[in-house]
Amino acid sequence: MNKTLERFSLEGKKALIICPENPYSREIAQGLKSAGAEIWVAGETVVDLGVDIAGSFTYTHGSSESAANLEREVRAKMGTLDIVIENGLYTPVKGWKQSYTEIYEQLSKTELGLMLTVQSLGRILAEQGHGSVILVADYGALVGYDPVNYKNCPDEKDNDFSFVKGFIYGGVVNYAGQASNYLAENGCRCNAVAFAPLDGSCCEEFKTAFTRHNQVKRLANADDIASAIIFLASDASAFITGITMPVDGGYIAK
Amino acid sequence: MNTFDLLSMKGKNVLITGGRAMYGLGATLALADAGANIYLASHTIESAQPFIEELRQTKGVNAKAIAFDLDNISSIENLVKTVIEDAGRIDAFVHCSRIIPAGGTGTGWDEDPIHLEQNVRVNSAGSLYILQLVGEQMAKQKSGSIVVFGSMMGLIAVEKHNYDGNPQMLPGAYGHSYSVDKSGLSAWVRHAASYYGQYGVRINAVCPGGLQSDRTNPVFAEEYSKHTQLGRLANGDDVKGLILLLASDASAYLTGLSIPVDGGYTSI
Repeated sequence: MNKTLERFSLEGKKALIICPENPYSREIAQGLKSAGAEIWVAGETVVDLGVDIAGSFTYTHGSSESAANLEREVRAKMGTLDIVIENGLYTPVKGWKQSYTEIYEQLSKTELGLMLTVQSLGRILAEQGHGSVILVADYGALVGYDPVNYKNCPDEKDNDFSFVKGFIYGGVVNYAGQASNYLAENGCRCNAVAFAPLDGSCCEEFKTAFTRHNQVKRLANADDIASAIIFLASDASAFITGITMPVDGGYIAK
Repeated sequence: MNTFDLLSMKGKNVLITGGRAMYGLGATLALADAGANIYLASHTIESAQPFIEELRQTKGVNAKAIAFDLDNISSIENLVKTVIEDAGRIDAFVHCSRIIPAGGTGTGWDEDPIHLEQNVRVNSAGSLYILQLVGEQMAKQKSGSIVVFGSMMGLIAVEKHNYDGNPQMLPGAYGHSYSVDKSGLSAWVRHAASYYGQYGVRINAVCPGGLQSDRTNPVFAEEYSKHTQLGRLANGDDVKGLILLLASDASAYLTGLSIPVDGGYTSI
C-alpha cells in the first residue's frame, strides 16, 4: 500500500458510534469496519449494523448523568478512543406546528445531547492527545430545504419541515469549529458531515426533484457515506478541522 | 416608490424583545426613528416605563411595554396574544432577548451542564417557540418580516487570542452553548424562510460582532479590533441601518439570510 492510501487506514483504531439507531449509522459502521476500525456503540437500543460490535454502552443522549457515566465506562472498557461518531441529532417529530414541550424535548435530546457528548468524550480524546470527532447531519445544515422538492411526498415534507430539524442540524456547522478550539489544541480534530438522503430512503418524486437540482444526478449511496467518514476519521484528513463537509452530489453548490 | 418611503415604518406595528440594552437598544431606536408603533417586551412594565416615555417624547411614536419572560411559556404566549389583540397585526418582529445562563461551576470546555440545559431550554426552545407564534400570526396576515439576532459567533469560532491579557475571559473561547445556539439559529432562518415564503413572510438574521460599551475591557478591545477590517468594535449605531432595512419593505426580496455586522471580522 502506498503512503497516501496508508493514511486512510483505520487499522488498530477504536470507533464509538453514538445513537446507532439513527439514519446513516449502518453505512458509517460498515465503512469504518472496512477500513480496519473496531466498532463500539452507545445508545438506548441494540441495533444490527451488519458488522461485528466490539462492545456497547447504554446511553441516553441529552442526559448529563448518562454522559458522565459514558465517559467513565469508555475510559474503563475501551482503553483508547480514536473516533467518535456523534449521530444523535435525528428527530422523528414531524411538522412545522409544534408545542413548546415538543420543541424543548427534541432540543434536549439532540442539541443538549450533542454538547454533552462532545464535552464528555472530548475530555478523553484531549487527554490522549489524539482522536477525531465527526458530527453527523444532513444537507439541511448548510441550506434550507426546498419546498418544491416535496410534491406528492408529504411524509418527506413533514420530516424535513419538522420545526426544529434545521436548527438542530445547523447547530453542528459552527460547533465543529468552536469545539476544534479546544480539541485541536490537544491534538484532536472535530468536523461535521452534511449528507444527502440515501437512495432508497425517500419517495421517488422527491428523488427526482432532488437529483434534478444536484450536480451528480443521484442520491447518496452507502459508499459515499463510508468514504467521507473514513476520510474524516483517518489521518488522511489530519490537517482538516472545524469544517462541515457536504456529501450531496453538488446539491448545495448551486 | 421613493426609497425612503420603502424604509418608512409609519403605521407598522413592531414587536421587539430585548430592546432596551446593547444591540437591542439600537434596534428599537432605529425602528422608532422610522416611525413604527413600538411594542417593547420587557421583564417588567414598570422598569420599561421611563424608556417608553422617552420614545414617545423624543421620537413621537406610539410605544407600549408588555411584560415578558423568555423562560416562561405563558408569558411568551401572553406577549404575542396581547400585541395581536391591541394592534390587530404584527408587521415586524425583532427578537433580541436571551438569558446568560447562571449557576453551576464548570466553565470553558467544562461548561456546566446546568448552563447547557438553561441555554437549550430558554435561549433555543424559548426563542423558537416565540418565533413560531409570531410566524403563525404573520402567515395568517400573509405578510410580515422577522429579524432575529444571531451572532458572528454563530458563523465562526471564537478567537482565543482576543482574550490575550485577559485570562479571566479565556473560558469563553472553549464554551459550547452560545456557538451551537447561534449556529442553529442561522440555519433555522434558512428553513423558516423556505416555509414562510409561501405566505409572503420574510425572515433574516442579524449577526453582530463585539459591541463597544462602557464595560468593554480596553485590552480586549485592542486585540479584537486587530481582527476586524475596520479596526474597531461595533458602536451603538452600527446595527441600526441593517435592522431598519430588514424590518422594512426596503428588503422585500431578502429572506433566509444571516448578515454579519462585524466590521469585516468574518471576512478575514
